[in-house]
Amino acid sequence: MAEWILSQFPDSILGYVIIGALPLLFILPYALVTIYLEMKMAAHMQDRVAYMRTGWHGTLQPFADILKLLQKEDIIPTAADKFLFILAPYLVFIGTYATFAVLPFSSQYAGSELYLGIYYVIAVSSITVVGILMSGWASNNKWSLFGALRAAAQIVSYEIPTALALISVVMVAGTMNLQVLSQQQSGGIFDWYIFGGPFPIVKKLLLIPIMFVLFLIQLTASMAEVNRTPFDIPEAESELVQGYNTEYSGMKFAIFYLAEYANLFVVSAITVVVFFGGWASPFGNYLNSGGWELFWFVLKGMFFVSINIWLRWTLPRLRVDQLMYVSWKVLTPFALVCMILVGLIVVSF
Amino acid sequence: MLTDFGRIFIFFIVGAIFTAGGLMTSWLFRPKRYYPQKLSTYECGEEPIGDSRVKINVRFYVVALIFVVFEVEVLFIFPWALIFQKVGMFAYLEMLFFLLILIVGYAYVWAKGDLDWDKPIPVIPQLSKLLNNKS
Amino acid sequence: MGLLDKQFEDGNIVITSLDNLLNWARLSSLWQMQFGLACCAIEMMAASASNFDMMRFGVIPRATPRQCDVMIVSGTVTLKMASRIKRLYDQMSEPRYVISMGSCSNCGGPYWEHGYHVLKGVDRIIPVDVYVPGCPPRPEALLEGLIKLQEKVRNYSSVKSVA
Repeated sequence: MAEWILSQFPDSILGYVIIGALPLLFILPYALVTIYLEMKMAAHMQDRVAYMRTGWHGTLQPFADILKLLQKEDIIPTAADKFLFILAPYLVFIGTYATFAVLPFSSQYAGSELYLGIYYVIAVSSITVVGILMSGWASNNKWSLFGALRAAAQIVSYEIPTALALISVVMVAGTMNLQVLSQQQSGGIFDWYIFGGPFPIVKKLLLIPIMFVLFLIQLTASMAEVNRTPFDIPEAESELVQGYNTEYSGMKFAIFYLAEYANLFVVSAITVVVFFGGWASPFGNYLNSGGWELFWFVLKGMFFVSINIWLRWTLPRLRVDQLMYVSWKVLTPFALVCMILVGLIVVSF
Repeated sequence: MLTDFGRIFIFFIVGAIFTAGGLMTSWLFRPKRYYPQKLSTYECGEEPIGDSRVKINVRFYVVALIFVVFEVEVLFIFPWALIFQKVGMFAYLEMLFFLLILIVGYAYVWAKGDLDWDKPIPVIPQLSKLLNNKS
Repeated sequence: MGLLDKQFEDGNIVITSLDNLLNWARLSSLWQMQFGLACCAIEMMAASASNFDMMRFGVIPRATPRQCDVMIVSGTVTLKMASRIKRLYDQMSEPRYVISMGSCSNCGGPYWEHGYHVLKGVDRIIPVDVYVPGCPPRPEALLEGLIKLQEKVRNYSSVKSVA
């Protein structure tokens, strides 16, 4: 599909711009669906019903929210650093959107089939941290500053286990290109890396338990990286008001909100590509033509998004010291040991 | 023909344009009725006291330092992870040695207690102590 | 000048339908400011909980005034608290609405005569859109007040002759 778009616009940059804008067509409906889904799931878990008044069972509620946020006044406090205050939402959204560039939505479409794939994702997701720190500092508000600092400390702490878990898979696969990673796993459900990858049976059996541990590490750490409960101490309402976006109102806040949900999909998609075969159909060659690939990718991504939502409304929030304990004393040693074991297996077979 | 990085640059630009477009659309609709009280800093309804850029816990700095060390390690391991299958056992042992140095540092930091977050130690009043003090 | 600051002399179909759309958005996503003052706050919490579920109307509690639309003054407004309420109201971003819940915040309630420490009605410091009587009002009453507020928002018009 990417090639087809490019062939429609020879000798012009327009084709590339269209490719670059396509993920927007995904993010906006996705965000609307997820906001609705999150509130509905939360409500039903708490024996409530949530949105009922806008459309059938409140399905139009996300539109109402967005339209309302458009009308809200945009306040920049006098004490705030005006330039940084305005720049911060840009950085947060750009950092999130740029990671969409390498996500392989299907074998035909990826914004860029970068050979550095995973490396690029780890690098670019740090732009979001800069944006969050910037918003906290620029707001000149104590809650914002504390929230931003906590967010930065948390995100950088959990980046280590994530990176180590991803490295282990890179060692097995021998590539960092997300498109190639999906291609390798396209031979049915047992070729996925969570089940040891497309290898002879002995190597597979040795890899399965390690891969499962790595998957759990990646799932936990990625949940912390997007600041969601149980790791939402940067936005802990009972202690820090709204964290780094306390002073943001109206559309600027909506951008933060959108970036948060888009980020949730990015981390789920990375988990899916690395462990669950990306766009590959679980039935091998069956149901894997063009549109089905997109379907499988989005389905798997939404599955992990739902798991995130489910955990959010089930688990209580961690304290700061527990958070650091989980990252540095549990996940990191486990990830290191797993990496060494994976290396040993790969070298000896 | 754009390179892979050129395509990514387009994503950066599209992201910026989208954000700017959202804020511009909101500018068309939103009211603009500002007055000094509205623009004051929010501090739970109180008058803000002092500057907001307060001193912060030194633990954040320690976390940042440890993070830098590990991130550099990750930086070195990534290229190695790509090619070590071709080099084989030798590359694996080399990286084990590299990791060993790092793990020694990690163990040192752990033993020193720098991975623990500062937390206040609760003082639990004990009846026997209170009685002793009185007598 | 944003659209919401404008008052048009004459209405036409574009202005009125845009008005309707924007009013619908505002009335169906009234985010509530998360604070309680006194015993009415307990009833407010009950209104958010499973039996009454205020979220059916799109009311989500937000912690910061910058992202809120409606302030529910739930309970006795003491003189000490009044200045805080005024400041919080000032810091809310427009369009913003106020529901005064319970007799105390409507008019002083049981403290109306001898309450040396109580503000005699929160409307002395901030403009109130809807008054909910009761001491304290039941959750149903608060929901009724919310529906009244929604009607008020629905009838807003940016055409001078109508407004």
